[in-house]
Order: sequence, then structure tokens, then C-alpha cells
Amino acid sequence: MSAKRIRFISILLALAVLSTIPLWDSPYVMTVWLLIFVYAALASMWNLLAGYSGMISLGQQVFIGLGGYTLAVLSVYYGLPIFLSVLLGGMISVIFAVLISLPIFRMKGVYFAIGTWIIAEALGICFSNWGYVRYGMGMFIQPAYKLSMSSVYYAAMIICIGSIALVYVLLRSKLGLALMAIRDDDIASETMGVNIFRCKFTCFLVGAFVTGIAAGILYLNTIFIQPFEAFGIGWSVKLLFIVIIGGIGTVEGPIVGAVIFVLLQQYLSEYVGYNLIILGIITIMVLFFAPKGIIGTIQNRFRVGLLSVRRQ
Amino acid sequence: MLRFLEPIINGVLLGGLYAVIGIGLSMIFGIIRQVNLAHGELMILASYFSLLTLQLLGLHPLLTFLFVLPAMFIFGYLIQALLFNRVMGKGMEPFLMISFGLSIILQNALLLIFTPDARSLKNTLVIQSLNVYDLFHVPLIYIVNFAVSILVIGLLHQFMKRTYLGWAISASAEDLSAAKLMGINPKRVYALAMGIAAVTAAISGVLVGMTFTFYPHSGTQYLIIAFGVVIIGGLGSLPGTFLGGLILGISQLAGGHIIGPGFQLLSGYIILLVVLTIRPQGILGRG
Repeated sequence: MSAKRIRFISILLALAVLSTIPLWDSPYVMTVWLLIFVYAALASMWNLLAGYSGMISLGQQVFIGLGGYTLAVLSVYYGLPIFLSVLLGGMISVIFAVLISLPIFRMKGVYFAIGTWIIAEALGICFSNWGYVRYGMGMFIQPAYKLSMSSVYYAAMIICIGSIALVYVLLRSKLGLALMAIRDDDIASETMGVNIFRCKFTCFLVGAFVTGIAAGILYLNTIFIQPFEAFGIGWSVKLLFIVIIGGIGTVEGPIVGAVIFVLLQQYLSEYVGYNLIILGIITIMVLFFAPKGIIGTIQNRFRVGLLSVRRQ
Repeated sequence: MLRFLEPIINGVLLGGLYAVIGIGLSMIFGIIRQVNLAHGELMILASYFSLLTLQLLGLHPLLTFLFVLPAMFIFGYLIQALLFNRVMGKGMEPFLMISFGLSIILQNALLLIFTPDARSLKNTLVIQSLNVYDLFHVPLIYIVNFAVSILVIGLLHQFMKRTYLGWAISASAEDLSAAKLMGINPKRVYALAMGIAAVTAAISGVLVGMTFTFYPHSGTQYLIIAFGVVIIGGLGSLPGTFLGGLILGISQLAGGHIIGPGFQLLSGYIILLVVLTIRPQGILGRG
């Protein structure tokens, strides 16, 4: 059997097992997998920006907050169907991404990182002073109570598979080639006719859309949204941790990172206060001893990859 | 018209404090070409350290500088020597992420030790204020902050211009390989520079602790202020940092005065985003 075939069958098998979890496992295990799915989707999008497009964003929480608040406002105030509200959360995120793209794409490197972060902080202040979304008190997304646990689980699974497939397809496309060329040498690639702005802009919008939807699904599970949490820098910390641990610039990295992060979070939740310290120490240790993350190191050593975008 | 005098004067004075908050960040960017995301946590660490010495020895907060500054110098030296020096010359991301990891560790360690309660470095300067011809009031602590900040910036300027170490630091910033050929050990210079940056962070941390209340999580807020200051002024420029502090201070207090106190931070952020968009390298920054 060829390696390609083994790869295909093992992915299919994993998907089959995961899709039957709501039938035979406990609600706790289901929640853990739900979180893994959502974090893997969010981290894949951050990885698309930071790992492939050279845009280290510290402001993905902009789209997390917008996705969550769109869901809350549309489903609570207007009674829209809940999954439609989630989808519209993605649309609102894209619209906002277009609006901020003009100033944000004038910034490069560290300025981009800071600029995105400041926008998130500014939004946090706006929402906490906005009576329509109940100021800093936050909103309860009551309609989400009507949903069954397994429907949220399947939504999370779909967004996870969808986002990874999207990243994979994007990277295998002409855009992926252009991105790699930009990463290796931006000036040379521009002279060869690569439109840097359009490539980065596409990734930014895709990232905003999927992040907005994934955030909506996450808030279906959390039920409660509050401005300084939704627009807080904590999200970027988590995404950074997941991608660094798993392996930045690899498709599988965010998945492995999300599994490790969510499991660590579950086990460390007994040690309140220490968990983030331990996450910080692990991040620094990985940067020192395996700067390419788990997947990057394995790929370098054994030259294998489950979802390698490399052309054979 | 006179109604606007008070927020503007207080904004200028607050801007001085902001300049000291930003100066360490700006210095590290100018010298190492890296951005230290743990800068705010260094400040708050110093605030808590000052609180400890104050409680143990019963000193005036300003006198705790005697203990806090040397300790923070050593701390800054050690984080550069043990952590950051290992990823020098490997691009922007590893430094950014290690400093991020460090900030998470410090923040949560402070949270564990000191609980999330609001603290302040108690002193009488906060409650006294200067009344100028009944036109406007200026809290005394703001004047102290401004005086200290002018002193710090002036001293730093003289240090960089007149001492051997200052020359070594500027030389490594300007041309690393030439500096190496002249017998300068860049890693040691970087560690000393980080030590000095930590001292400026500590000074601002104690001043902030005397002026406002602080929590273990306050570092993030001041990191953003530091960013605001250095981005408006231009990363790596000393006079720019001072100008950036003034602009941010005035825009915050004027914005708070016009729109409402809830929007004080927001008006600062908006000015910041405008500068980032129009002139990303800052007003006095080099291209």
C-alpha cells in the first residue's frame, strides 16, 4: 500500500472515530474534544497569518470578540436562528477586517503586531462603554441553551475540519506558492510578479472569517460573553502557545498544539494560578530546545508529514 | 477657554510619566532591535518590590528606589543573559515570544504571591495639589513624576553620550560587526542595556504605584502605554519618546475631558492608530 493511501485511510479512520464520540462517550470527553476542535481552527488561522504570511498578529481577539458579540446580539435581540448568527459573525468579522486593512497593512513586522493588539484593546473599551451590549457586564447567550450538546460538537468538528482543509487547499494553490516565495524573499518575489498585498490581504480575510465563526461556536459552549475577556490579549497568548508548541508553519502543528493545550488546561485546572506559569515556561523551553515545535522537529528528523503541503 | 487649561497642563505632566514608561522599551528597540513584551511586567514587578520594602522598612516610596533599582538592574541583566541572548540574531519572532512567555510567568507569579487586590504605594503627595491662581489644580504627585522623568531622560542622554559603556552601547546598535572588531562583547552590552532598561521600568513602576493603584495584571495596560509613547515618538529615539509621552498624555486627558472619562484610554489609542497609519516609524523616528 502506498504511503498516500495509508495517509488517506488513517485520516478517514480518525474522522470516523471522532464523529461517533457523542454516541458513546461522556459529555466531559465531548466538551474536551469540542474545545480541541475550536482551538485547532483558531490556531490554524493564526498559523496561516504568522507561519505562512509573516503577519504576527496579536489581535485575532478582534474577530473572536466580534464573532461572539454578533452571535449574542443577533440571537438574543433579534431571535435569528443560532447557526445563522454564528455565520453572520464570520461575515461581520470579514467586513471589519476590510475596514481596518487600510491602516493595518501599512504596518509591518512588530508594528503590525502592536497595531492589531491596539485595535483589539480599543474595541474592548468601545464595547464596555456601549449600552446596547450591556456595557462591561456582558451578555448571556440564552438561546444557546436550546441547542443539544452534540449539535455544538458537530459544528465545532465541521469548523475544525473545514479550516484545516481550507488552509491545506490554500497552501497547495497558487496563493500558497506565492506566500512561500514572499516568505523566502519578498523583494525577489515582487519582481517576479507576485502581488504581496493581495496575498496577505486574502489570508487576513480568510483568517477573520473562520476566526469569527469558530469564536461563535466557542461561545455557544461558554454561553456568556464579556468585553474585556472577548477582546483580551489572553486569546493571542493561547493561540501563540498552541502554534509554537505544535510547530509554526506546519498544517498539523496547530492540531497537535490544540490537543496538548486543551489537555494541559484540563489537567492544570486543579492548580489554579500555576497553570499559566507552566504554559509560559513550556513556551520558552520549546523555543529554546525545539524552535520548530513538535511537528516541525519530527518532520525535520524523519522527513514525514501527514498533511504536508510539499509537492511529491 | 480656561476650562481646557487644566486637562492640558495635567496631560503634559502625565506625559512626562508616560515618557519614562516608554523609554526602556524604546532603548531596547534602538539597541537590540527587539521589542520586549515583558516591559510592563518589569514595571509592575518593581511596584510590588517597592511595596514590600515599604512595608518591611517603613520608608517613603521614593526612598525605596535605593533597593528596587539595583535589584531590577540585576533582574534585567539576568533575563537578557539567560533568556534573550540565546535567541539573538534569529529574527523577531523568538524574542517576541520569549518576552511574551516571560510576561505571562511574571504576571501570574505576582498574582499568586500578592493576590489580585488593588495595591498602591501610600504617600501624601497624591492628596496634595497645587492651586494656581484658582485657575487650575495640579496634583503634587504629577509634578514629582514630571521632574523625575526629566531627570531620568536627561541622565540617560548624558550616560549614552559621555560614558564608555554608553559609547559601547551606541556602537553595537549602529554597527554590530564593527563594534565586535573593536573588542566589544555584544552579549554583555545587551545584558547591561537590558539592566538599564529594567531600571527605567522600575522608576516608572514606582511612580505609577505612587500615583495610581496597581494589580498583577496592570503590566499589560502600561505596556500599551509604553508602545503608544514610543510609536508616536518613534522607536529608538530619546527626544521622540519624550514628545510621544506628551502627545499621548494630552490626548488622553483632553479626550477624557471632552467625551467622558470612560474614553480616556480610547482617545489615546485612536491617536496612536492614526500615527501608526500615517507615519509608521513615528514622528521623530528614522525611516
